[in-house]
Order: sequence, then structure tokens, then C-alpha cells
Amino acid sequence: MSETAHLDHSEKKAFLVNSSSLKEVRNFCREVFEKLQIQQELKDELVLAIAEAAQNIVKHAFKNSADVNELMVVEISCENNKLQIAFYDRGTPVDPKKVKHREIDNVKPGGLGTFFIQEIMDAVEFKDGNKPWINHLVLTKQL
Amino acid sequence: MSYKVNEEGNIATVHLDGEIDMDVTEKAKEVIFPHIDAGKEVHLNLSNVQYMDSSGISVLIESHQKALEKNTKVIIKDVSKSVLKVIMMAKLEQILNLE
Repeated sequence: MSETAHLDHSEKKAFLVNSSSLKEVRNFCREVFEKLQIQQELKDELVLAIAEAAQNIVKHAFKNSADVNELMVVEISCENNKLQIAFYDRGTPVDPKKVKHREIDNVKPGGLGTFFIQEIMDAVEFKDGNKPWINHLVLTKQL
Repeated sequence: MSYKVNEEGNIATVHLDGEIDMDVTEKAKEVIFPHIDAGKEVHLNLSNVQYMDSSGISVLIESHQKALEKNTKVIIKDVSKSVLKVIMMAKLEQILNLE
């Protein structure tokens, strides 16, 4: 937890669901975290966690979809030094019970994204997606 | 991501430049794997890579394991602080060859 008081602020942006959007997602996060005056090391971690969550949407929620016009929305809010990042998408419904990372000692490619998210954030929660959204993921961290 | 490859004897030095994410992993594999398949020792210079996500880490693991199969090795050189942090978060600093 940092001792710096961060500004209350909220911003959201929609991105096309494809791998080439991931860089735009990172740049959006970096810009917002700059405004929130989050220090570099924490900023790098948060950007990684958000990018991994966005990547999971591209890889898993839309793995059988050929529709390149689908959107995902990333919303970053900070209130009373509590950071909340919400993701909204209309992909395949996520079963939270099936979202798990690989055993960290079982070294093989893949299965690390969820581990990184859990390592970096305080809480990871799948909420009911209100229409038109199907999935609503919320990551939180006390700054 | 851009890249540059220098070959000298049995060593192929691959310099990657930019951010390594899911969007560029196939390209990274296309650059690295043929040298491993040819039995070369690959020196992967990451000094100009400031961001790497789990997809990039998977490329490092896959390269390392492929090299072991081919009785050669991949040495990861000049890792930036930010990428080293991700490697350490994945608890791979004792598994991968870092210099």
C-alpha cells in the first residue's frame, strides 16, 4: 500500500477484441495511471495485470468467434485510493470456477496470465454482466 | 517488435526490440526457433525489450525447452529491470539461463 494520496478519477475506453488492440489497452492504462500519479514500478505491474485480463478476453472469451467488430470495454476508477479496473465483453460466458492458472512449479508454456493477475491485484471477481454485456470482470487493488 | 540477428560460428545472437505480447509471439518464434532447430546456441538479447507479458514468457520457456531437446541452449542476456521482474514473478530466474 502506498502512502501517496491518489486523485479520484475514472475513465473508460472501448477496444476491438483482437490481439493488436493489446498495445492500445496498455497505452490507455499508462495514460490513466500517469494522471493518477502512480509510481513507475506499480504502474508496470498494473499494466501487466490489465493486459493479461484483456488477453484472456481475446484468447478465451472470443476464441471461437470470427467477428472482428466485437468490442471490449476497460474502465479504470480510483476512489479513496482504491483502484478498480472493470472489463466488459460479450464473449462466451466465463465460468469462474474454471479460471485457474497452471501449477507454478510445473514449468511449461502458457497458464501464467491468471497467475500474474492474482499476484498483482488484491481481488479478482467475476460479476453478472448487465446487458448488453455478458462478462464483467473486476480487479481491485488498494493503492 | 523488430529484431536483428547476428550469426558467428555456432552462436546466433537475436536482438529483440519493442514490447513482446500475444500479438508478436508467433513472429518471435519464427525468428528464434530456426536457430535452435539448427542446433545453434542462441543468445537472446532483451536489452531493448521494456515490456513482456505471459505470452512472451511462454516464448522464453518454449525456446529453453526446445534447446534442451536439441542439446543446445538459449542464454537470455541484458534483461531490462521490468522484464526481469516478470521473469521472477513467474519464478523462472533459476530455470532460464540469464546473463
